[in-house]
Amino acid sequence: MIEARLLAKRFGDVQAVRGVSFTAPDGAITGLLGPNGAGKTTTLRMIAAVVEPTGGSAAVDGHDCARDPLAARARLGVLSDARGLYARLTARENIAYYGELRGLARAPLEAAIARLAELLELGALLDRRTDGFSQGERMKVAIARAIVHDPPNVLLDEPTNGLDVMTTRNLREVIRRLRESGKCVVFSSHVMQEVSALCDSIVIMAHGAVVAQGSAAELLEASGRTNLEDAFVALAGEEGA
Amino acid sequence: MRRAALVVFAKELRDALRDRRTALMILVASIITGPLTLVLMAQFVSSLEEKAAVLKVRIAGEEHAPQLVNFLRRNDVEIEPAPADYATRVREGRMDAVIVVPGDFDELLLAGDTATVEILFDDSRTESAPAIRQAERLLRAFNRETGTLRLVSRGVSPDLVEPVKVERVNTATPRQKGALVLFLIPMFAILSPLLGGMSVAIDSTAGERERGSLEPLLANPVPARAFVAGKWLAAWTLASLVAALTLSGFVAAALLYAQKKLEALAAFGAFELVQFMALMIPFAAMTSALQVLICTYGRSYREAQTYVSYLFSVVSFVPLIVVFSGLKDAAWQRAVPVLGQQMALSRVMRGDVLVLADYVVPAMVAALIAAVALSVVARLLRQERIVFGRS
Repeated sequence: MIEARLLAKRFGDVQAVRGVSFTAPDGAITGLLGPNGAGKTTTLRMIAAVVEPTGGSAAVDGHDCARDPLAARARLGVLSDARGLYARLTARENIAYYGELRGLARAPLEAAIARLAELLELGALLDRRTDGFSQGERMKVAIARAIVHDPPNVLLDEPTNGLDVMTTRNLREVIRRLRESGKCVVFSSHVMQEVSALCDSIVIMAHGAVVAQGSAAELLEASGRTNLEDAFVALAGEEGA
Repeated sequence: MRRAALVVFAKELRDALRDRRTALMILVASIITGPLTLVLMAQFVSSLEEKAAVLKVRIAGEEHAPQLVNFLRRNDVEIEPAPADYATRVREGRMDAVIVVPGDFDELLLAGDTATVEILFDDSRTESAPAIRQAERLLRAFNRETGTLRLVSRGVSPDLVEPVKVERVNTATPRQKGALVLFLIPMFAILSPLLGGMSVAIDSTAGERERGSLEPLLANPVPARAFVAGKWLAAWTLASLVAALTLSGFVAAALLYAQKKLEALAAFGAFELVQFMALMIPFAAMTSALQVLICTYGRSYREAQTYVSYLFSVVSFVPLIVVFSGLKDAAWQRAVPVLGQQMALSRVMRGDVLVLADYVVPAMVAALIAAVALSVVARLLRQERIVFGRS
């Protein structure tokens, strides 16, 4: 479970995130929806404990991200905004590196890689160096290494960015499987359809603040519109999104 | 923490060894620089020795000086008549020195007067020096003999004109002569760890930023200092490895070439190699840490490369300063990074015995600098402008 309480971040004069609060429960997919520059990535970085908040707090399974970053990170798998791979290493070695950093022993690590290769349809790619990989293939490797340790909480920052339709469908399936296995999944996107197709609960962000949250039905009701896109524009757009 | 550092170390080392740039650098360091330099130097020095070893003079106008020719022949000197264009040849450097005998030489000499000869040379060309000195020495010897004969024929003891007998005793051992020639080996020793640690230092810091792998890496539950330790260990390992390969190259080349052509080079053998490495391994710890530090500021591979080349220039300046300023050994130099190592290495080359402090003091200074540099890197890796500052 991930909780954000009045999270705030200021970079110099720019207030990137202002008082974001939400709770993402286990066994559910929570979507952060908002236009570019709404503060989604910064919010996820504060939860991943790579950026320190200037106000408020975040906790992963009760571990405060700022005060005990290593414990919070240990309960997380993160697909960050930057997702560079090591081009001279094979896909397997890229994934294994993160598993070893998290202290996985050889046998469970190999089993985990085999399981992920099947889940993400990586099979033939595993033992090739990643420098010739396509965007979608890179993304699969990046996701595999983010969740190789089978974390109870998963953060995915714009995971479908730049992917083709087939890969996107495969990825959605993977995210649903994560929910089925009882994980807490938080995923950000600026694409409304993406969020409405997957998420149990939606947090709409604009200008660094939460403008509305709830299930798709609740958001429709709150906005008084009949479809989600209109609702999104009504809720986020009023502030000039 | 220690386990994570070892994981990082193993990954960085594997990644680096797959890099063609690293492989090429190791090849150049181990096979080309050492042996090639020594071969060229051996060729140069032995050609000097050959010039001095064979007694040979060129004379223009030998027909005017039968007595001189006779003297030289008695002393097993080979006489070669100078060609007509000897002046041009000397100027162009195709001939080292020519003794020019004027037409009235024999006449003046027989009359008991002072005759003149000229030695024609170009002293801006250092490789001619042995030939010039040889011509001078032979002429002086001829002078002494003729003068002595003249005194004896007048019933005067030749000892009168030589109140002080000068005997030359050269105390320079072959090793010390070698050290003069081989100030280059300490210089290569000092620069090789910089060369060796460079690619890992760049790739594991600025390279991670450029390819966008630093942010996900830092999201792992591992303290920043473990990442820094692992990356630095990898850079240090390669730096030491390249230093060892470069210096072994010198040992191998010295073994092959020294006995025959150049005694002095034999001074660099296995024992010297061990002493060098005892000085260079702690030194490499320092240079690698500094490289990791300055590369962390680089946003791209290229930018970091520029920063590293500044460090390289600064370090390579020190041996040159030592050579040109003629700095003498002193205890305070041990505490100065680079200088301490340079002076100690030069002393090893001269065959001096180093004391424990010569190893320990520079190593402690290096360890201190490395520790400070690495703790700064660990702090930098927690700064948002370093982790996310791209472009």
